[in-house]
Amino acid sequence: MIGKEGIKYSLRNLKKSKDRSFFTILSIFIGIATIFIFVSFGLGLFSYIDEISGGASADKVIIQAKGAAAPGLDTTFELTESDLRVINGVTGVYETAGSYFRVVKLSQKDEVRYSFIISYTPDNPLILESFDIGVEKGKDLTASDSGKVILGSNFREDGKIFSQGYEINDKIEIDDKDFRVSGFLESIGNPQDDSQTYINEEAFQDTYPDTTSYGMIIARVNKEQIDVVVERIEKALRKHKDQEEGKEDFYVQSYAELLEAYSGALAGIVGFIIIIGIISVIVAAINTANTMITAVLERYKEIGILKAIGAKNSEILDIFLFESSFLGLIAGALGILAGFIITYVAKVILIGMGWSFLAPLYNVWLFVGCLVFAVVTGAISGVAPAIRASRINTVDALRYE
Amino acid sequence: MSGKKEVIQLKKVAKHYHLGENIVRALDGIDILINEGEFVSIMGPSGSGKSTAMNLVGSLDAPTHGKIFLDKKDISKFSESDLAQLRGKKIGFIFQQFNLINNLTARENIALPMMFQGASESERLKKADELLKMVDLGDRGSHYPNQLSGGQQQRVAIARSLANDPEVILADEPTGNLDTKTGQIIVSFLENLHKKGKTIVMVTHDPALAQKYSDVVYWLRDGKVEKITKKRRK
Repeated sequence: MIGKEGIKYSLRNLKKSKDRSFFTILSIFIGIATIFIFVSFGLGLFSYIDEISGGASADKVIIQAKGAAAPGLDTTFELTESDLRVINGVTGVYETAGSYFRVVKLSQKDEVRYSFIISYTPDNPLILESFDIGVEKGKDLTASDSGKVILGSNFREDGKIFSQGYEINDKIEIDDKDFRVSGFLESIGNPQDDSQTYINEEAFQDTYPDTTSYGMIIARVNKEQIDVVVERIEKALRKHKDQEEGKEDFYVQSYAELLEAYSGALAGIVGFIIIIGIISVIVAAINTANTMITAVLERYKEIGILKAIGAKNSEILDIFLFESSFLGLIAGALGILAGFIITYVAKVILIGMGWSFLAPLYNVWLFVGCLVFAVVTGAISGVAPAIRASRINTVDALRYE
Repeated sequence: MSGKKEVIQLKKVAKHYHLGENIVRALDGIDILINEGEFVSIMGPSGSGKSTAMNLVGSLDAPTHGKIFLDKKDISKFSESDLAQLRGKKIGFIFQQFNLINNLTARENIALPMMFQGASESERLKKADELLKMVDLGDRGSHYPNQLSGGQQQRVAIARSLANDPEVILADEPTGNLDTKTGQIIVSFLENLHKKGKTIVMVTHDPALAQKYSDVVYWLRDGKVEKITKKRRK
């Protein structure tokens, strides 16, 4: 171990060649900050997916008509009530619920907005369960409620959708008809989902009798056999609709499968960016090694002096390893700090915009891991120069001018 | 000098260097004996092998042939780390170029050899301050080498050489980079250390200096000991 004079000696050498130290630190810093930023965003997204997949959505299967647009907007293919009955009869399906989707005009004084209205059956609210949300304020609808709606959480806030937020029992104008606000849903964390309006199925059919195709059918199924049940539903619907395999106008997917696909894609993207971060740290490590080799050459004579006054090879090795590790430590600490500040500001902005599900997440291992990675990178890049320094011939070094 | 403890002994020591196809015989079978408390000078013109002899006496280098004894222990085959530990403890070096570490203060330069011997920080700094006072630089502890004159730097180097209280002080042309007056001050410091019982080995090309202070002078020429002169000091 090097003592205080050794540490001072190392630090002053780093300070003396401050330009070189600065650029070495900068190169590691960029890599560590990149890794920190993307891992924290990745952690946030994975946690969101975990939260959804671990909740009430785990036993749900979604059946949608194929189409190019969002549910309910493309009427080329349809899912009808008879399809719902077929699905309901499949072994392993416990219950089903269809939801109509429609884009509606919402008005508040002179302001007009367009958003989805989604129907659900209050005594079997599978669509809300699949989002794992419930009514946060006010009352849920009943099957007989007409002229009432439940709003997404963004409607409560001033300036989010309309300049003035809504309260319970306020009137809201939908497609030029007045509805009463019965309640507000919990926030999902993305602005689109939090800006939807929910209405009971009967009221939807009364208001929009021309919408006959479900945007989505949700089935609650036997969780243990979910893949088999998905296949059974596909088979039953194919038969009912007289369609060949591979030419269906619908698709059936379990939430778990859907989330797995998201999760896989997400892991791919985050992993790819982290690999870029790691490559930049490796480049930084080469830069650090170069810095340390230059330092060894510059201090050739000094190394001879240190050996003459009693420094062992291992102590010379320690001095140079300390220097490269210290560069890594500083770069790591600054990289983490910068990464934290950037992601924190992004978090505040995202939450403000209603995209809280995209917000980064931190844990102690992220901080410790980044710091250790930076120090180890510095140390490893210093090994070869440090060995070289430790093996310098004392007499040659003392003669060196 | 019989009856005195032998501190360093070189027996038929040779040091050869390969220069292309040629072999340069920097030292060619020399015998040197340094007893405890002696002031020994190694004299010789440029190219005589005195610097090589100093490196071997100071265990900075290993001989091609022959044996080197430090406290009667054969150190010719010691590992580099063992030699470093040994010289840190037993030998203090003073160089012609002072060879202080520019990024450390005078006090830290003096404390550095003690760090390699595992002394505690408080011990190191206390001893460094004592040694600074001893070389009349008590008020210069926080100065960096480039803030000191040549003579002051050499006094810091003397203090550093004493940090681990070594038996032997090895001075390689200690006055070579100093003016006559400053050189005189430096030599008087060495003389004082000798009087206090330290063994001094000085390499010099100045015969007057060698003869004035030394108990024994080894005269080297072409890698061999040409003669040995001994003097009974007044």
